[in-house]
Amino acid sequence: MSESWNHILNEMLTGSLSTVLNLLKVLIPLMIIIELLVQYNILEKISKRLEFMGKPMGMSRDAIFPLLVGTIMGVTYGAGTLMELNERKPLSKKDFALIGVFMYLCHGIIETGFLFGINGANVFVVVGVRLLIAFVVTCIAARLPYFRKMEHEKV
Amino acid sequence: MKKFFNAIKNGTFKGLKTGLMLLKIMLPIYLLVVLLKYSPVMPWLQGICQPVMKLFNLPGDAAVPIITGFFTDEYGCVAAMGGFEFSTAAITTIAMVNLMAHSIPVETAIAHRIGFSSGKLAVYRVAAAVFVGIFIGWLGGVFL
Repeated sequence: MSESWNHILNEMLTGSLSTVLNLLKVLIPLMIIIELLVQYNILEKISKRLEFMGKPMGMSRDAIFPLLVGTIMGVTYGAGTLMELNERKPLSKKDFALIGVFMYLCHGIIETGFLFGINGANVFVVVGVRLLIAFVVTCIAARLPYFRKMEHEKV
Repeated sequence: MKKFFNAIKNGTFKGLKTGLMLLKIMLPIYLLVVLLKYSPVMPWLQGICQPVMKLFNLPGDAAVPIITGFFTDEYGCVAAMGGFEFSTAAITTIAMVNLMAHSIPVETAIAHRIGFSSGKLAVYRVAAAVFVGIFIGWLGGVFL
């Protein structure tokens, strides 16, 4: 060990305490925001206005809502919404795959924005640049033959 | 208005509950990382990881949160990051690499259940992490 145990234990104690505090600073606002979004159906309303984004990303209009849920609130919520929606009105395999392409690069932006922001990262990069990267990659993927041939396949 | 207060109440409660669950994983990770940092293993680990981390414009230490995050999740990465001192640019790069590729075992399992191919997905995410890491590392070096 390159430091005295006294020093190490001291660091562990203060570090643990700040880990706990930082975590609560992330989770309580996050959960309140998610509750508010769900209670007031806010994402459903926003997704109506964002339907035009489906075109450059090669998705149908119906794919925007689950994508938005996953991007804003997290993969678990997004996947849940996707499955639920798919039972009522099946999406094409292409929609599914492209939602995956986008959502695996960028999901839960509120959660991760808070989490890394509070722990010292640049929030603009963690949220803005990440959204941009996911958008550009999805636009490119939508034009690849690999995804285009899925258009008429069902899941 | 009732909806609003309910949201605040439920949100706070859920936040505390989730926090308690996450701390059970985060605190042990944090404590292990502090031990690792002062142990003789660290200089050796730094030596191995330095060349790869250089790609991302990061110090060798950064491998610890990145690898931890790869197998656990963002919270594990943050817990491991807490053991070291990093600059804003470094934290941002670590965050972005981790955000592209985290909790690979769990998330690929979920993906498999909803019909995505696990193998392809893991390759896609690791590739994205490497490209984004190089890009943000360069961006961080220039702007942050």
